[in-house]
Amino acid sequence: MTTTYIKPLPHATPISEPFWSGLNNKKILIQQCDDCGGWSFYPRRHCTHCWSNQVTFKEVSGAATLYTYTISRIPTLPEFSDEMPQMLAVVELQEGVHMNTVLVGLAENEIKVGMKLKPVFHHVTADKTLLKFTGVDKDVQLQHFDSSEVVEEVKEAVTANKRKIRYDDIPTMESLISEEFSPWSNQITVDQNLINEFAKLSGDDYWIHTDPEKAKKDSPFGTTIAHGALVQILMSRLTIPMDYEVIGFNNVVNYGSDRLRFPSPVPSGVKIHARSRIKSVQQIKSGTQVTLEICTHIVGHDRPSVINDLVMLYM
Amino acid sequence: MIWRAAKAIEAGLCQAVLCVIPMRMAPFGPEDDPAWMMKAMRFGGHSTVYGAPEAEFDLPYGHLGQNTGYAMIAQRYAAMHGYDAAAAAKIAVDQRFNAQANPEAIFYGKTLSVDEVLASRMVADPLHVLEIVMPVAGGAAVIVASKELLSKCKNRPAHITGFGEHLGYKSPTYAKDMLYTPVGPASDFAFKTSGLSRSDIHCAQIYDCYTITVLLSLEDAGFAPKGEGFRFIKEHNLTYQGDFPLNTHGGQLSFGQSGSAGGMSQVIEAVTQIQGRAGARQLKKCDNAFVTGTGGVMSEQGALILQ
Repeated sequence: MTTTYIKPLPHATPISEPFWSGLNNKKILIQQCDDCGGWSFYPRRHCTHCWSNQVTFKEVSGAATLYTYTISRIPTLPEFSDEMPQMLAVVELQEGVHMNTVLVGLAENEIKVGMKLKPVFHHVTADKTLLKFTGVDKDVQLQHFDSSEVVEEVKEAVTANKRKIRYDDIPTMESLISEEFSPWSNQITVDQNLINEFAKLSGDDYWIHTDPEKAKKDSPFGTTIAHGALVQILMSRLTIPMDYEVIGFNNVVNYGSDRLRFPSPVPSGVKIHARSRIKSVQQIKSGTQVTLEICTHIVGHDRPSVINDLVMLYM
Repeated sequence: MIWRAAKAIEAGLCQAVLCVIPMRMAPFGPEDDPAWMMKAMRFGGHSTVYGAPEAEFDLPYGHLGQNTGYAMIAQRYAAMHGYDAAAAAKIAVDQRFNAQANPEAIFYGKTLSVDEVLASRMVADPLHVLEIVMPVAGGAAVIVASKELLSKCKNRPAHITGFGEHLGYKSPTYAKDMLYTPVGPASDFAFKTSGLSRSDIHCAQIYDCYTITVLLSLEDAGFAPKGEGFRFIKEHNLTYQGDFPLNTHGGQLSFGQSGSAGGMSQVIEAVTQIQGRAGARQLKKCDNAFVTGTGGVMSEQGALILQ
């Protein structure tokens, strides 16, 4: 299974083409003025120092210092949710020009304005390479478009020392009711293959889910989005860490939902995770009815994509 | 917009101009393509047009929206001059105090402390969520008229005596030094045209999308030397009761930012203060007001002096 690259891509112009094709060959080519010797970036028709139009692309080492940076705790676009937190930076090349980039392979506390950086070539598609930067003493391995699939890390739910609570011990069950949510589950990627499979299975093959080309042109989201129902059932693949376990019942049934909402879309290719809280516990004739509020979010997003008040009946 | 209206009147094109700004860039109408509008908003107003430097060199790296751009300016400031997070928070807190005297403000009735600002969620280091504007719905309108129409004016008028506008760059990444913002040349021109000096100003209505915007604007407009903005903020009471009244309506941080119309709230507040119609937050003396406006990421800015 290969995942499609879903982030915005640079589209070279006749003026900037040497820069981008240089990156594909791991070369950094920027413009120097034939008349005044000044360097300019981004590529233009003229020198930004003396306005001469005699500018020539020349290869530079990529040695740079960090001019400024920020650590974004909210994805600047949902598509960047796999990079959280985003380490956005402006670097100053030895030649004096500034460029926007992303820092890789650095821990938050290692980042200091003025630190020395070296370039990292990130081949994100067959013909596009992004220029990222890391510390001079770092050896960074990025996942390139042609690397084999990386198995996603699934955090095991805490199994040891779980409190065991009998389903019919109503006072203890009630003590689980909380305004606070659990920790986050593992993360999974909702990619186009998965969306296509679900379209086939459910019969909902509306273009907004299945046609990336048309979606790019006509959809308000600029990309295909997952079916709300798909994101809802992906809950089954997300393990939410709980510090308790309900025991003693013969049977547990999914009684349906009191409330099901899809407040924000999940674009194809983004990562999701979930968390939950117990909203109510009720003793009924046939057993104990527990309402769990499960919220599935795009990683890094405040606003949930699915809110599901799931009713479970322990008997 | 205001000074252009004044120039149009001065050139004899018309007698009065109604300056109206809606919240959105363009109204939704039957002819408009909502997909285009939503796309523009999705990319935070950055150009996605083929050949636009932003589309080509910023978006692929995730550089978009305003939060991170302003945060990077703040981080650069921190590295050059040091960063006083509590002083930055004080900007938001003093403005919130002002909003308590403005029933129109979105945060009217909700006070704020420095500790609350510092404990609020970090959005893009070093900016906390309470240092970022509150989006609200709304619009703004101002009438600019010729002197001949003065007799029809019910209230004390505000005269436009100074203006300046400067477009430095599109993205601060490519600025020579991102800590010297276009407010500098715009303010210099405004003070030069009005003949006033900084000490003549009775209130400053400074565009405040973020606390860092206010800090740099105070420095570049000449109220505090470069690198000493935080000291200035700590040494002055910025409320309508204080010695340097700033954003007396609460600023956009506490009044609310109604999209494109947000900056006009500062012009309207300056006029309201000069007219003496500011109610509970009315300054004892307000003859000279200084106003700034900001577009992009501190990349295109304007200044006005109203008397």
